[in-house]
Amino acid sequence: MAEIVLAYASSHAPMMSSQREAATEEQRKNFFGALDFLKEQATERGVQAVVVLSNEHYTNFFLENFPQYCIGLGEKNWGPTEEWLPIDKVWIPGHAGLANHIAQYTLNNGFDPAFSHLLELDHGIMTVYYELDNGMKLPLVPIVQNCAVPPLVPVRRAYEFGKALGDAIRSYDGLERVAVVGAGGLSHWIGNPRVGDINEEFDNWFLGVLESGDLEQVLDMPNEEIELAGNGNHEMRSWLAVAGAVAPTAPKATKLAYEAVYPWITGMAVAYWETQDKGAAADVPAMDDAGRRDASMA
Amino acid sequence: MSWYQMHRAVYDWVRVGEVNSDASAGEDPRASFDVSVYELSPEERKAFDNKDIAAFYQLGLHEVLINRYARACGFSREDYRRRLEPLAVKNERKGRWQK
Repeated sequence: MAEIVLAYASSHAPMMSSQREAATEEQRKNFFGALDFLKEQATERGVQAVVVLSNEHYTNFFLENFPQYCIGLGEKNWGPTEEWLPIDKVWIPGHAGLANHIAQYTLNNGFDPAFSHLLELDHGIMTVYYELDNGMKLPLVPIVQNCAVPPLVPVRRAYEFGKALGDAIRSYDGLERVAVVGAGGLSHWIGNPRVGDINEEFDNWFLGVLESGDLEQVLDMPNEEIELAGNGNHEMRSWLAVAGAVAPTAPKATKLAYEAVYPWITGMAVAYWETQDKGAAADVPAMDDAGRRDASMA
Repeated sequence: MSWYQMHRAVYDWVRVGEVNSDASAGEDPRASFDVSVYELSPEERKAFDNKDIAAFYQLGLHEVLINRYARACGFSREDYRRRLEPLAVKNERKGRWQK
């Protein structure tokens, strides 16, 4: 059976690719250092495929039909769709076996995800996937979820979907080592008068909740309260889905990076859940006096 | 107001420049976009013709689409924030994370 050997969540502001240098050197070192650490872990742990959950930004779906979840079943998907995103536009290999298993398993267990045999992948998935595999060869099962267009899945339901996703992966016998990644958040506003604001107080609180493992503090949060940290904050659902996926083995997250990158209009964070028993926590880079983790020390 | 048609027109305009896009191809497919096929109200048509994101915001265009539309129009975020800021409504509500 497959095992989730790597689980993490990362912000996915497109400017992390298109305006990389707009962040300070220290911010880049911290944020990308965390992603580099996770990339190294993926290599060390022999990840064979990755499942990435992200928000649907009106890239694949529109108002005629807007699924809450859509699983990419295809043998390949295309991305990135944005003409201005400086990542090569390529066909990205899928993993039809794992994707179909996830779809059937979740259908058998109380969820009704849509499916697609050809998704266009926008910055939501591509920025984070690219940082995991610059060659974009690692088989990818994309799951796009509705974090933008009301009515929205309740936060608890997103977490429960993650739990079903995790159970699905662990019951798949076609692979041994799978990564689960959530992409999006944390606080940000788009398309409204507060674009550019970041709610650092929320971001630090949310990361603390993930580290404590006491997710009840957040699972009942209504949409109106979520939006106090920005309309983009609905993407916290991706983070909580990952938390759900690894809940049986890794109830607490470890924050690897947090930077309020105002030129990227987003609270940029990376956190991961240690799912391995091998004492891999020792691999986590130590914090310096400023409370930052320098992944280059790993 | 034709809420769906407004969304459809803006979405299609944004997408026509994205789908299978290739920056090296040269021609801007948005230049030949025919907005007349959409059943827009006069206010919506005026907003479209003037690339007036503040008007679209007031007409209820979804904020994700406003963001994509503004970017496709070439507006910087600072510029579109400046256009939208006068429309801000103060929210006194506090989140559970606020002391």
